[in-house]
Amino acid sequence: MIRLEKVTKSYGVTVAVSELSLEVNQGEVCMLIGPSGCGKTTTLRMVNRLTEPTSGRIFVDGQDTAHVRPEQLRRSMGYAIQGVGLFPHMTVSKNIAVVPHLLSWEKERIAQRIEELLSLVGLNPAEYAGKYPGQLSGGEAQRIGVARALAADPPILLMDEPFGAVDPMTRERLQAQFLRIQRSLKKTVIMVTHDLDEAIRLADRIAIMEAGRLVQHDTPEAVLSRPRNKFVHDFVGTDRALKRLSRISVSGFVRQSPSISISASVEEAAAACVRRRWVWVVDENQRLRGWIDRDSLHEVASVRESIVATDPEVIAVAETATLREALSRMLGQGLRSVPVVDDRGRLLGEVTVTDVENATAAREA
Amino acid sequence: MAQRLLGRNNVALVGSVIGLSSLFFSWLTLRPNRLAAGTHISLWDSAGWAATAIIILWLACLVSSLSGWGKSGNRRAIYLGMTANIIVVVALVLVGLTATLLVGDQSPLLRVSLGAGFWITLAGAYIAIFAARERLRGRGAWRNAVSWTALAAFGIFLITGLLQNLSIWQEFSGRESRFLQELGQHLFLLGGSVATGVLLGIPLGIWAVRSKGAERPIFFIANITQTVPSLALFGFLIPPLSALSFAFPALRELGIRGVGTTPALIALTIYSLLPIVRNTYVGLRQVDPAAVDAGLGMGMSGFQIFRKIEAPLAAPLVLQGVRIASVQVVGLVAVAALIGAGGLGWFIFQGIGQAAPDLILLGAIPIIALALMVDAVMRAVVRLATPKGTGKESQ
Repeated sequence: MIRLEKVTKSYGVTVAVSELSLEVNQGEVCMLIGPSGCGKTTTLRMVNRLTEPTSGRIFVDGQDTAHVRPEQLRRSMGYAIQGVGLFPHMTVSKNIAVVPHLLSWEKERIAQRIEELLSLVGLNPAEYAGKYPGQLSGGEAQRIGVARALAADPPILLMDEPFGAVDPMTRERLQAQFLRIQRSLKKTVIMVTHDLDEAIRLADRIAIMEAGRLVQHDTPEAVLSRPRNKFVHDFVGTDRALKRLSRISVSGFVRQSPSISISASVEEAAAACVRRRWVWVVDENQRLRGWIDRDSLHEVASVRESIVATDPEVIAVAETATLREALSRMLGQGLRSVPVVDDRGRLLGEVTVTDVENATAAREA
Repeated sequence: MAQRLLGRNNVALVGSVIGLSSLFFSWLTLRPNRLAAGTHISLWDSAGWAATAIIILWLACLVSSLSGWGKSGNRRAIYLGMTANIIVVVALVLVGLTATLLVGDQSPLLRVSLGAGFWITLAGAYIAIFAARERLRGRGAWRNAVSWTALAAFGIFLITGLLQNLSIWQEFSGRESRFLQELGQHLFLLGGSVATGVLLGIPLGIWAVRSKGAERPIFFIANITQTVPSLALFGFLIPPLSALSFAFPALRELGIRGVGTTPALIALTIYSLLPIVRNTYVGLRQVDPAAVDAGLGMGMSGFQIFRKIEAPLAAPLVLQGVRIASVQVVGLVAVAALIGAGGLGWFIFQGIGQAAPDLILLGAIPIIALALMVDAVMRAVVRLATPKGTGKESQ
């Protein structure tokens, strides 16, 4: 789908990208990663000719991009960047409509597409279409940036750290959402990142760059288990087993766990705590409210009084989360298991340290 | 803390104190003719009812500026602002009636001119009105009432002839057609130079942003010209333009000469350039580079980026530059009268030459009024040109 052939970009004596060859197959997510200044952004920008290569050729769908008008080429590829770059004087819907507009789509078709895309990125069209970028949170703006890149349904997406400027919690959600969308849309994606965990989580294949050269281009598993040289080895780090957990979703490991209602009596709670030291507490809608501990049940009148850590945001993970997050949540909270909740905060079950260990062992074997 | 408890408004307080101090100055000067020394008339010498009214009104302003400006100070602002307006109206009626009384059927050479007391009360009242206006942001109807009531009354008094026995009016009535002619010339010089400044300045500002090599020389020249005293710049232009018109008589036919309108327009254009160039430059520079990059990456052409992204986002700042240039040029045009370009400055220099302060005021007051009007109009234009979503309402 996208093929770079011995592409070089130099600025005077400085060589930003040197004889880089790379092939990205249709429907594949290629994560470009490397230390800052390694030429990953330059490589991305050469694909849509925001930067012209000094030498070498780039093919999209078998066609040499040098022979395509840059504007036309770019309109056939979605483009999302770290600063998001939403136009502050245009509403969310106008922002999304930019490329369809450039392609002279009809009004109704554009309006329909805006609604589709906002729903796709999980924002209520009625609420968000008329807002200005200044009224959005960082995470919302990033989602609009992705929606805008997808607007004309381009087969190719180029993304330069699209989830860069948000807090870790929001980034995790955006990544999960990206995976969900990618699973259904099957775009050909080149994404630049400096975050190895992000690369491992999202990639079909990772392209690791060093000083303008492509060092290794492989699946995340291969990069983790068979680093080609010392640079990749050091870059991947010594916690490869831990990183591999980023590839594994918790959804396959959720197991039933005891829970009681927040309105239960202390006696019921004590009974529930006989077989294990703690149980999760849910409200009448099955939403997680915290947990109770056998020792905390002494001399209290109700479950509500003895409940611990009532913020599900802090203790629970989503079913879309990875085992790595589950593990870090356990270590952070000093627990041997974490509850798993669905997108409405309802308790689905739990994942334990033992599950994580087993998953690691299975991969090693 | 004590200030918050009291809810005092310091600006209004200053205005009220200034206003009260006007009672110690003469309000009118009576002269047997235009140039002779005159006798001063204080507030106490003129109509007693009006003097009492003004004192009471100013004391009311003073008291109301001392308290009640806490969280819900809107009512206090309306009260103070309207009182200040009433003061101006009463003062105008007072000087108008007194002047008519003094002139009576005496010699037509007799002159009654406004004294320091009147001007000080006017200044105090507008300081108080300013304080009230600041407080009434977002209260459209009352804000307008506070801003315009006294001015509207002034207009009515002008038309009805209440003020016709004041010496400024007498200076005007002898020169009505000349006044209109010079006002027209003033507006022509203003419009001509600012329009040329816009046509040259915006492209120069764009060029400075686009080209690193051009940026420094453009700002070097624009900054230097701004530091040349206006009088000197007018003077500098006389020799080359005289030489030109001498060498090419055809140019003289077009009106290009060392003195008069041409050098004035050139000099004023040069002065209007810096604010316009600078604001165009800053306006384009503050456009988020990520937005431009995103636009390019989505396949917008350079021209589309300029028209749809850069221009609308830079427009408010560019127009601010035009506003600054216009207000500045309104005042500078006055100096152009010295090189024979006319304009309202002509009255000022005539007044200086004849030692006739009223004639100076006949030139100066319309210039101030014009500057304030241009400022208000351009502010409204800037507001209209500010795209939604980038203004303060979104933050």
